[in-house]
Amino acid sequence: MLVHSRRTRRALQAAFLALFLPVFALPFLVVVTASLATRWSGVLPSGATLDHYRAVAHADALDALTTSVLTAVTASVLALVTGTWAALAARGSRLRRAIEVLFVLPVAVPSVVVGLSLLVAFSKPPFLLNGTSTIVVLAHAVLVTAFAHQSVTAALDRLDPAYEQAAASLGASPLRVLVRVKVPLLLPSLSAAAGLCFALSMGELSATMMLYPPDWVPLPVKVFAATDRGALFPGAALAVLLMATTLLVLLAVSRIRTKAAHR
Amino acid sequence: MSTGIRFDGVTVTYGRTTVLDSFDLTVEPGEVMALLGPSGSGKTTALRALAGFVEPAAGRVHIGDRDVTALPPHRRGVGMVVQQYALFPHMKVDANVAFGLKARKAPRAEITARVAEALEMTGMAAYAKRYPRELSGGQQQRVAIARALAIRPGVLLLDEPLSALDARLRSGMLAELARLHRELPDITMLYVTHDQVEALTLADRIAVMDSARLQDCGTPRDLYRRPRTEFTASFIGTANLLPVTVTADGVRLAGTALDVPAGGAAVGAPATLCVRPHLVGLGEGPNALRGTVAEVQWRGATHRLCVDVEGHRVTADLPELPAPPPAGAEVTLHFAAHDAVLLPAGTHG
Amino acid sequence: MAEPVAVPDAVRRRRFPARFLLLPPVAALGLVFLHPLALVLWQSVSPNGGGHSFAAYTDVFAQAAFRDALRNTVLIAVGATAGALVLGFFLALVIAFVPFPGGKAIGRFIDIFLSFPSFLITLALLFVYGSTGMANGLWTGATGAARGPFDFLHTPWGVLLAEITYFTPFVMRPLLGAFSQLETAQLDVAASLGARAPRIVRQVVLPEALPSLAAGGSLVLVMCLNEFGIVLFTGAKGVTTLPVLVHSKAILDGDYTGACVVAVVNIALSLALYGLYRTLTTRMEGDRRARA
Repeated sequence: MLVHSRRTRRALQAAFLALFLPVFALPFLVVVTASLATRWSGVLPSGATLDHYRAVAHADALDALTTSVLTAVTASVLALVTGTWAALAARGSRLRRAIEVLFVLPVAVPSVVVGLSLLVAFSKPPFLLNGTSTIVVLAHAVLVTAFAHQSVTAALDRLDPAYEQAAASLGASPLRVLVRVKVPLLLPSLSAAAGLCFALSMGELSATMMLYPPDWVPLPVKVFAATDRGALFPGAALAVLLMATTLLVLLAVSRIRTKAAHR
Repeated sequence: MSTGIRFDGVTVTYGRTTVLDSFDLTVEPGEVMALLGPSGSGKTTALRALAGFVEPAAGRVHIGDRDVTALPPHRRGVGMVVQQYALFPHMKVDANVAFGLKARKAPRAEITARVAEALEMTGMAAYAKRYPRELSGGQQQRVAIARALAIRPGVLLLDEPLSALDARLRSGMLAELARLHRELPDITMLYVTHDQVEALTLADRIAVMDSARLQDCGTPRDLYRRPRTEFTASFIGTANLLPVTVTADGVRLAGTALDVPAGGAAVGAPATLCVRPHLVGLGEGPNALRGTVAEVQWRGATHRLCVDVEGHRVTADLPELPAPPPAGAEVTLHFAAHDAVLLPAGTHG
Repeated sequence: MAEPVAVPDAVRRRRFPARFLLLPPVAALGLVFLHPLALVLWQSVSPNGGGHSFAAYTDVFAQAAFRDALRNTVLIAVGATAGALVLGFFLALVIAFVPFPGGKAIGRFIDIFLSFPSFLITLALLFVYGSTGMANGLWTGATGAARGPFDFLHTPWGVLLAEITYFTPFVMRPLLGAFSQLETAQLDVAASLGARAPRIVRQVVLPEALPSLAAGGSLVLVMCLNEFGIVLFTGAKGVTTLPVLVHSKAILDGDYTGACVVAVVNIALSLALYGLYRTLTTRMEGDRRARA
């Protein structure tokens, strides 16, 4: 503990709340409240309404939600498979450092540029993907692979080598060690990584703005389109839809994780 | 300029748990007081209340003639040495030792002199320019002691200072601490430990703690010879604790009458008889206890006999026997009345 | 490390194909990430007329819009990073060392915060400080004026505010990690030696937190340089950053070569800083291992 006088402690806590609440909690509160408000140009919103949700509850917005979820799930699976594979294969290899650098690179490159590069690369045969949903999914997969790879690598570093050594000394083949020992032990980290990938993909806007075809419009683009034409309140309702879906999936994943960890 | 310490009914609670219960203790100026007890007994809490890191729910804490209960730690002027050393890892040894002097804005020349003096005193002068991570555990603890001494505190608090060291280093450091106290007789020391050897070796007096309460307090010799509770008897040294009943002319262990003065205890009252194993003899004598040998342990210089007497296990530590009795043999043990202490029953923690 | 006697056979079988096992993921990443990036570089030196030249670079560098975007990007990124560092350090310090009920919940809240998209912050700020938002509504209501005074959302200041808000938790997370490693006994001893809280923060806490502060700071700097959603959502025509310029050149103007030039500049800037970040974090890990 850093301060011992009760008065100083109270003062610091007050300063903390004065900074933390408006800066971090308020934005979400505001978006959620606005999505339920008729008008808001005072301290409090003017009236409660579900109109914005009714407005977004038609097929268009639900299509966007489905698009986002499908994109996020596919991209997460691709990223997890690639990232985990690379992390496992790089173990003990002399190329390990190089692989690690290669796989975190997408974090350092601006997402917009990742979008641009896919546009440049896949706009002409033999890979004509421009204007398809595939190119959006690919972009998302590239962007989240880094996170999947990083968390699996970190989990592998923490994994006690005694487990695999014990399994190997009992005569298990490397494949059996992988499937029966390593993957089950990595399950909590894998599910955490899956949750993170899903959440990041759900909110991805930068690369998507470069790539989305008219028939594959994810939710963040919809939110932007709404606010861009001045429809702030329906935009807020869409944003709440996005946050709620993300939270639900994160919650489900953390449930699975606690179960896996307590086994 | 000696400074004493006084705890006046200090109570500390965390939520609904009381971790220190109306604790009263006076430490004389220049005295070494050991707070001895198992973990969770409240001894560290008492030390932290004195240093100012926990706020008592009730009671006052005095250092010298100052009531420091409301003072923040940095104004209490106590030196502190903790188990994990807590040296600042990014500072060299001399900067660690100078930290307290700089915080007090001492003049630069004085800082240099006192740092040198403190390092000299702890035998660490040669290591002034090393980083803590380059030192062994024992050396780190010496630096921590030098750091605490550099501010010339009236009171030095030591919180399990030797428990992170291995056994051999520990006895060396114990002698070192005793020497430091001889050289600095004015410093009052409060020494928290769970190790009775440390307490017996170093302390002028020992305060025995258990279950958030002060159980017993006295000189090491006094506590060892004349413990006042079962807890003290079993925590300091080993003891045979036998349930007896007070009779008109002594006490009775089941069927065996023993000639032990019962003091003022009422006839028929239950009591606990405490005899140290090394004061129990083999063979006939006064206060004879007949029983069956359950176990014989050879311990080099001694033999330990575990004998079942009237359904109770009695341990005797005897000088090495040329022909120890085998397990199952019937033997007689005895002890002198003045080696036994009668304790109130049910005072175990 | 000594292997058990029975294992060498299995080990040899595993070692041999290890390099081949690496091929599929690396090839996948090469196809959808490295190769496209190389094409961006290639395109930036291949003007539409054919041949190769740096003409596109000269062109783009000469545009006022590009120089503006570059300046905006760097200034906003540096400002937002500095703001996030100061705010993040203070908040993490309080959470770690001035415990209060609900502190743990805040840690979890930060994790959730990190998984939400950045543009939500701008969206919220639009409700608070927008031209018809809370703050201006309050002002016009109180003074009867036709317009409120808060009109900074469409300026670099609005972007700065949103970026500080969004990126502060990215600074806090590594800091909270570093603080949890710090022995609280050090703080206690420092206090008993006579040091007040500010001195303890400066001389004991800060030196220990410096590596994570540097690492968190450079990560945030990179993310600020690459940030797109926040700037896009302010709808500010006056605030253009490099990522926004890439988007507008490619999608609105159809000028792929120009977009690629800007992209190359942006990548160079980000990679240089990301390299710095990796160096710092690697050194930090090394330090921690050396100390352990």
